[in-house]
Amino acid sequence: MIWRQAGMCVLGFGAGILVSAGVFTVLLAVGLVPRFAGRTHTGRHIFLYEEMIVWGTLTGVFFSIFPGYGQIGAWIRTRLFFGAVTVSAWKWLSGAAVSLGGLFSGIFVGSLALAIAEMLDSIPIFTRRIGLGRGLKSLIWGVALGKLAGSLFYFAFHFYETGF
Amino acid sequence: MPKETLYLKLDQSVRIPSCHIYVKDLGKLYCRDRGLLDRIRGKKVYTFQEGDRDEKVIGVMYLIALLKEEFPCLEVETIGETQTVVRREGNGQDSAALQAVKVCFVSGICFCGAFFTIMAFHNDIGVTQVFHRLYEMVTGQGSDGATVLEISYSVGLAVGILLFFNHVGGRRITQDPTPIEVEMRLYENDVDQAVAKAAEREKKSLDLDG
Repeated sequence: MIWRQAGMCVLGFGAGILVSAGVFTVLLAVGLVPRFAGRTHTGRHIFLYEEMIVWGTLTGVFFSIFPGYGQIGAWIRTRLFFGAVTVSAWKWLSGAAVSLGGLFSGIFVGSLALAIAEMLDSIPIFTRRIGLGRGLKSLIWGVALGKLAGSLFYFAFHFYETGF
Repeated sequence: MPKETLYLKLDQSVRIPSCHIYVKDLGKLYCRDRGLLDRIRGKKVYTFQEGDRDEKVIGVMYLIALLKEEFPCLEVETIGETQTVVRREGNGQDSAALQAVKVCFVSGICFCGAFFTIMAFHNDIGVTQVFHRLYEMVTGQGSDGATVLEISYSVGLAVGILLFFNHVGGRRITQDPTPIEVEMRLYENDVDQAVAKAAEREKKSLDLDG
């Protein structure tokens, strides 16, 4: 029994190391963070941004690997730290936190998707093939609005149910 | 007047505080004749005009022509870049508060983005089922979802991150630059080159024609 547990340990550890290497290589190779820092002229704080990526990943791992231990909402609702107002206060607070988190994740994923597309040079190749000289601005608007519409569609019509 | 050689190493990009660009701002210079060197260093190349952008690209050919005109017996040896991107400081500088807001914003994006990406990845590969099946197969017992497998996976992930990013809690593990710092330098290089190319195409760079 103890050997099997030890075997699981080695297996899990190795899987964790390789997954983190894989995930971060993708995040790094597309160069998102330098772009954010360059856009906002905050290149001096790169270190902080990296730290945030590290902690974000670790928190995400905790919540998705141990979902049973991540039930913050249920925990706070049962504890009632501030008496009767706790439930309604938590409703607003968690709503704000969730919407802010959604917005930030959306920005990240949107940039990631386009950065990956750009890494494959799909847009330059495409515009060159069809001889598109200008109109790059409307192309970008088209991609952004298309992503927005697709995302809303996906959630509104329960496309995720067809996934599996 | 005997021939003198000026060695000129242009930087890829420089920042200047005022709106006057002098030769000494553009990179490193060396000349054996100190007096001549000082005269060259203090020579004005360009002054930012009212409607100018905050960047000006200066080509080495323009510099050579400029210097040759004033010092005909000067030999110019260029070693560095063939053009340099000059950025004017001062004008679009953010206030500390705005800077803090931006930093918070980008930090939030990085945190939530990484949070979301790893969760989406786990969801994608169905990591819970994979671990459940694996645990049952190997140990022959049911898994409660928080077994040694999940715990060691999480530890492995954390160790992988530390090895990869080389720092945690604001402290570096080794002296190497972190991967994103390296990416940032590459990105700055790319931006400088793109700016120089764009200015060249729009004929806004300070260089000789033809």
